[in-house]
Amino acid sequence: MSLERIKPHLPWITLLVLVLIVGIADSNFLRPQNLMAMVADIMPLFIMALGMTFAIYIGGIDLSAQSVANMTTVVATVALPTFGISAALICIVAGLTFGAVSGFITTRLLVPSFVSTLAIGGVAYSTAQYLSGQRALYMDATLRDNSFGWMVGNSFGISHEIFIGAALLLIMLFLQHRTTFGRALKAVGAGELAAVASGLSVARIKIIAFALSGMLAAIAGLLFAVKLSGGSPTLANGFLLPAIVAVLVGGTPLTGGVGGVLNTLIGTLIVAVIRSSMLYFEIDATMQQMVFGIILIVAIAATIDRSKMRIVK
Amino acid sequence: MDGIVTRETLVKWAPLLVLLVLILFFAVMEPRFISVRNMARIAIASAPALMVAVGVTFIIIMGSIDLSMEGTVSVSAVVFAFAFLAMGGTVLSWAWLALPLALIVGAVIGLINGLVHVRLRIPSFMASLAMGFVGTGFALLLTGGDRIRIEDEVFRGLLTERWFGFPVMCYVALLFLFIAWFIQSRTTLGRNFYAVGGGEELAHASGLNVDRVRVMGFMLAGVFYAVGALLAVGRIGIAETATGNNFMFISITSVVVGGTALWGGIGGVWNTLIGVLIVNVIGNGMVVIGLPGYVQDGVLGLLVITAVVLSTDRKSVSFVK
Repeated sequence: MSLERIKPHLPWITLLVLVLIVGIADSNFLRPQNLMAMVADIMPLFIMALGMTFAIYIGGIDLSAQSVANMTTVVATVALPTFGISAALICIVAGLTFGAVSGFITTRLLVPSFVSTLAIGGVAYSTAQYLSGQRALYMDATLRDNSFGWMVGNSFGISHEIFIGAALLLIMLFLQHRTTFGRALKAVGAGELAAVASGLSVARIKIIAFALSGMLAAIAGLLFAVKLSGGSPTLANGFLLPAIVAVLVGGTPLTGGVGGVLNTLIGTLIVAVIRSSMLYFEIDATMQQMVFGIILIVAIAATIDRSKMRIVK
Repeated sequence: MDGIVTRETLVKWAPLLVLLVLILFFAVMEPRFISVRNMARIAIASAPALMVAVGVTFIIIMGSIDLSMEGTVSVSAVVFAFAFLAMGGTVLSWAWLALPLALIVGAVIGLINGLVHVRLRIPSFMASLAMGFVGTGFALLLTGGDRIRIEDEVFRGLLTERWFGFPVMCYVALLFLFIAWFIQSRTTLGRNFYAVGGGEELAHASGLNVDRVRVMGFMLAGVFYAVGALLAVGRIGIAETATGNNFMFISITSVVVGGTALWGGIGGVWNTLIGVLIVNVIGNGMVVIGLPGYVQDGVLGLLVITAVVLSTDRKSVSFVK
């Protein structure tokens, strides 16, 4: 078997090997409750990475995901007393809007996505600071439980966050595999010029991809805010790196076109296992960021499709 | 052609025009804005950012991008602080060696950055973003989250000693700006940056070792980030993991707003000076006329998009990612 044939299977093999290594080192790790807690814990990150997948799939990047999530933690907390459960809708619409604007700026105004999303991230950050009055805000416990109590808690021994993550994954899987949008997305990711030549409205598809990224980042922020029962303009800081790592480690390369949302699930689980393994092997938490940074470089180098890039800038 | 305002001339002079209009606007709104005291305040805030922005200017001229500045600044600052304290804690002892050491650290990080980008053939924005994360992580590992205080009066003289109303650090920044200008316009390396940015394949075909130029560029940028780190430490007297925070957004914004095109080949360090001043005049001016400071990031975000749109020749770009 050549390397090229193994490559698509590398993510889940990596995941399996990692789980085994940590499991052998500490059998407590493999206890179902522990695994369940680990998966539930990673769900906000997974949802953000799910959105990031679309941005990367079309060959772009969304550096605003973290700021948008930060902003929605504030939006959710501020909107909760007045709007109750509709606060969720406001968050989703806000995320969609910010994402769509990024997409519009990238496609129509020809600003590279890493700059447009960085700039829109700045706008989101300012919005969050304005809405929060530059403070950390807390949700009223009863109000939170009335409107969003269903987001946290357990049914059939499974945490509700996992249900939410799974539902979103299924919707995105459907979008990716069973809709014309999904097919068009693949065409754009595989070769943008060919997609243009075959009459696809590439700009529209890319705008939708960025809008989805923004929306899922917002949902991640919402879930995180409910989990921590509050919001602040910096609450979700530290999400951006692992979210990008999750997408790339899962096997969606920076050049786009292959991989997809299911890969991101595997990638996120790899991130989760690495995080917990650092705990088990008593590696200092301060090393985490460095480790993920190095993993990111390795993952990009391993997955990137160099035949798509004549010049590497 | 005389007398016709073409897009090129507009793009060339727009940043300076914007800066002058901004200064005029804030001066009319609040006369205290143009006092020497306030000008010095803007200069102090600009000095570290200018160094970082000048560093990334070289990279952007080549048509690449470097997003590693936050990590590089933090690591340089922290290594400098540890070495400085370990070797005596005052510039008047052997501890002055910590200053060149910081620049070497910056160069080494830049070298790694460039090698990862060139040898592994990873697009620079992602290679450098990842390296930036590694850098911030490394700084955190070194400090364990602590802040390191530098209380040496000679070193803090960067801020406290003033000539003609402006602290020494502003003159240091100016000196390095001239060095950067010299490299840009009077050395082969500087010319090569423009050659690579103007058309990589042509540069390659004319016998230029493009990969080498790229790696050298990232090293040079690393040195300037380290100078920025030293000024940032001199400004607040503290080195920590967070020393590098926000430099990415500010410096990229400054370079782009100053008129250096993201596509490479156009612009230079003087543009960056204008850009840094625009960014800091906006930041300072908004506070002076009584607007909340947090609006700044949003305004800068919109400004950077406008700048990129204006500087993009839409006929020559088929699609962007």
